[in-house]
Amino acid sequence: MKTATKPAATRVLNLVQAVNEALDMALSRDKRVMILGEDVGRNGGVFRATEGLWKKYGDDRVVDTPLAEIGIMGSAIGLAISGMRPIAEIQFDGFMPAVFDQLVCHLGRIRSRSRGKLSVPLVLRVPHGGLIHAPEHHSESPEAYVCHTPGITVVIPSTPHDAKGLLLAAIESPDPVVFFEPKLLYRSAKGEVPAGHYTIEIGKARVVKEGKDITFLTWGAMTVTCEKAAERLEKEDGASVEILDLRTLSPLDLDAVLASVGKTGRCVIAHEAPNTGSWAAELSALIAERGLLKLLAPVARVGGWDIRMPLFRLEQYYIPDADRVVMAARKTLSF
Amino acid sequence: MPLKTVASLDIQRLEILGIDGAVDQSLMPKVSDKLLIEMYRLMFQIRRFDERAILLQRSGRLGTYPMITGQEATQCIPPLALRPSDWVVPTYRGGGVYFARGMQMRYGLLYWAGDDRGTRFPEGNNDMIFSIPVGTHLTQVAGLAWGQKLKGKGGVALTYCGDGTSSKGDLHEALTFAGQFKLPAIYVIENNGWAISVPRSRQAASQTLAQKAWGYGVRGLQVDGNDALAVYAATVEAVARARKGEGATVIECETYRMGHHTTADDASRYREDKEVQRWKKRDPISRFKKFLTAKKLWNDKKEGTLQTATDAWINQEVKAYEEFPAPNPLNMFADNYATAPWHLIEQRAELEKLLQFKGGAQILMELPPAEGRFP
Repeated sequence: MKTATKPAATRVLNLVQAVNEALDMALSRDKRVMILGEDVGRNGGVFRATEGLWKKYGDDRVVDTPLAEIGIMGSAIGLAISGMRPIAEIQFDGFMPAVFDQLVCHLGRIRSRSRGKLSVPLVLRVPHGGLIHAPEHHSESPEAYVCHTPGITVVIPSTPHDAKGLLLAAIESPDPVVFFEPKLLYRSAKGEVPAGHYTIEIGKARVVKEGKDITFLTWGAMTVTCEKAAERLEKEDGASVEILDLRTLSPLDLDAVLASVGKTGRCVIAHEAPNTGSWAAELSALIAERGLLKLLAPVARVGGWDIRMPLFRLEQYYIPDADRVVMAARKTLSF
Repeated sequence: MPLKTVASLDIQRLEILGIDGAVDQSLMPKVSDKLLIEMYRLMFQIRRFDERAILLQRSGRLGTYPMITGQEATQCIPPLALRPSDWVVPTYRGGGVYFARGMQMRYGLLYWAGDDRGTRFPEGNNDMIFSIPVGTHLTQVAGLAWGQKLKGKGGVALTYCGDGTSSKGDLHEALTFAGQFKLPAIYVIENNGWAISVPRSRQAASQTLAQKAWGYGVRGLQVDGNDALAVYAATVEAVARARKGEGATVIECETYRMGHHTTADDASRYREDKEVQRWKKRDPISRFKKFLTAKKLWNDKKEGTLQTATDAWINQEVKAYEEFPAPNPLNMFADNYATAPWHLIEQRAELEKLLQFKGGAQILMELPPAEGRFP
């Protein structure tokens, strides 16, 4: 994956605008690129991620599909095999389980089953996570199910800059990418975004801030929570916190993880999904396998409880907040 | 060998009550005057309730709410053909169905306020909570109907889905089972013209949604969904067939979503107001009122009395809803398993610690008592 030289012009965009800009750019640069999903056309997507694209590129390239997630996923696979570059949208994370048959049995396996003859260069965009006061099944964190599945690259940005560069990299990737977009950050995350084309290398974590006493490993909207927790720990406890936003969940940037944990010796993994069988569990296992002797304390995981996501009146007690990260970090620091 | 026709289908549409309030007497079902008035009351009250719920949402006193205005007949009428022991599984746009089944609407408000205590249904009724991932309940309803068949007491299961949902594979599998096992199931396709921003015309190339049923050996018909009498007649007939062991029916009710998809949507982005105005003329309630008035069953005085009673009822439900104390966060650990496993016991204790970290040592005493069964 090449990283193009960043052009000088940048503007402040929010995360959903950055996604929109990447989609627009991909559609204009490559005639094979098309978007399909529910309400992505005339309505511009329920989060407005595809706003304006239907008008600009027409019905054949920005397609309002029937309400049928398996149809969207399966036909996107077929389109990709046939030479197109489909970008499919599943409207909410909670509607993603419908496509698992296609995702688990086919998406990541077609390259290998055809002994390299066929490939599936598609992107599946899925809004991710909670805390937006949404109805039931609109606040889920299904990344571990996908990461568990071989052959699929899994990406989740937490800044507008990363969202654009990673989405363009995902669209240009020769293999299928599931691209999670943290809903909470769609409008709240704002930042400088270069106007031109650029990509960010898939598989590389971002050091959000450097520190020497403890490492926070995180992704998605929880990155912002970790920043708040770090600020408090530095002020109240005088602890120096390093934060790694993984950005790509599969394949993991293990070098970056081990370098950071090797330096600090203490680690808290923070995410929104239930802890059991989570991607935090995989990270924790990798650190134990490859970095055990560098550890000064057990690795702590802060995640959702092992129950279903409650309706939104209680969601702030389900998804970890800065308090929970602080509590886990203090326990780790004082071990 | 010449080509032979091996199957051909006639898809019928049932309309009884015209938009002028006139009735086709040859198709008129047997309905007592009392039940006619009850039909009107249900539709009238749920529309007023819907209007209040939207106001509550707009003033920040309710979460995202799916409005039902325009669909009162398809919602309130089919439950009138059922027994409390028949299974009913509405969609998330199902306030009118639950209301007709006797649910206290304070719980409906509580649910859309994001409170899990809102999933409460009338005691004694076989009503199930709707599924939010659309259509995922349809195969379950085949199972509910199958269970009714195995019990042998003539019970049925009635469910709903939208025109959008009819595109999902779930309906294919549900009807495959319903046809194959001759299940006592009634599938009401509430075709309201729109799946968020996608019109019915983009969902399926077939002329009707009713005709899908026949592909599975299930009876299908189309009904004017804004005609309460047609909806009633079709449901009564489908339920009677189901009770007699004659199998499942799909009733495509052609109606219209007068409002946005939910309060989080803006329909003006994708549909013409002309279309909305056209459907306004086919309103299920005003049509029914003309009919009742012509029959001398209704007049302005009765309307005024009903309006007063409705205002009082809505005020009472809203008050009861707003008086629910904030839920105890520990509630979320209740009723996840018949007996909670060790890790949930541990995690609940961790949440107690978090609450104390936030609110001080005494906080657990100050919270309302935890509800539900744990461990």
